Amino acid sequence: MTSMRPLAAALALLLIVPAVAAGPSGNSTRAIGSPTAPITIELFSDFQCPHCKELHDETLPSLITDYVNTGKVYLVRHYFLLKFPYSRLSATYACAAERIGRYDQACDALYKTQQSWGQTGKVDEAVCSALSPADAKKVRELVKDPSVAMEIEKDTALGVSQNVKSTPTLIVVHNGKRTPIELAVSYPMLKRYLDGMLTH
Amino acid sequence: MGPWSVRRIVVLVLRVALGGVWLYAAYTKLRQPWLLFAMSIDAYHLLPEWAVLTVARILPWTELVIGILLVGGLLVRYASILGAAILAVFFGAMISAYSRGLAIDCGCFGPGDALSAWTLLRDGTLLTAALALAWLSWRSCHWVGQAVLPAPTPNQ
Repeated sequence: MTSMRPLAAALALLLIVPAVAAGPSGNSTRAIGSPTAPITIELFSDFQCPHCKELHDETLPSLITDYVNTGKVYLVRHYFLLKFPYSRLSATYACAAERIGRYDQACDALYKTQQSWGQTGKVDEAVCSALSPADAKKVRELVKDPSVAMEIEKDTALGVSQNVKSTPTLIVVHNGKRTPIELAVSYPMLKRYLDGMLTH
Repeated sequence: MGPWSVRRIVVLVLRVALGGVWLYAAYTKLRQPWLLFAMSIDAYHLLPEWAVLTVARILPWTELVIGILLVGGLLVRYASILGAAILAVFFGAMISAYSRGLAIDCGCFGPGDALSAWTLLRDGTLLTAALALAWLSWRSCHWVGQAVLPAPTPNQ
């Protein structure tokens, strides 16, 4: 038994060290709220899509405050690449930021300066200027990680499998029924819809 | 003029075809929660919220009634005028949204029907057909199955 201890410790180190080095788990900030909430909203969006920006700026904040934070909605945000010139690059930076638990900072920075980097392609500057120098360095390293690109492809493939054709698309799941909303729905309309589902 | 003149046949084809379109449009809206249709209307950014909700509740049933009247050959003149007027308003809204670059659903036949050059062409064609039917149906009253007031004679 005594001779097993060093081996066990070595095995434990082999498992723990990579997990610690990788930082927070991949989806810890893209999915927010309680997974047991009565309604799940799966949001497919593209960071260079103007209507996704509209949804992010005008609908999501109130949705998160009134429904996600109160346990009524579980929001899962997915990458879905359209054919904009910098869709992939912006998603890559957001995904890399997510790996270190900075998804919301990257997301907010990308949408806030969308018009600028959409013309110049300066996605690195847009995201990293919103992060600390240490976090920006980590993000720049993670951007080169093939698993980041794979995660984005996987999310896009998921959207395609669910018949997502445009962004933003919200798939509202309630009582096993999936209902797509394929536009930048305004918060008052979404609120009415969600309240109706919650009362039935 | 015999009962099966060219004009009568054209009117018959138009009213049955357009009636079918109205019935299908009503079906696609009534089979889903009415608030989803309200979201499509709201996305045009043309109406205040109270008007969006009112239109979303009333319009599908109006489409259903127009469809039934046209297919059944009842009150064709009035149904065709109302249908043409509604289509003209739709088309105007679509043109407005398209010119503003809004990437939204047309809302014509339920969700997933994106506003595009194709939907403009399609609905423009429907509007033309609806206007033609309205014009033709007001010129005479002796159609098969139609129950309307007699059209004015040339001397009146």
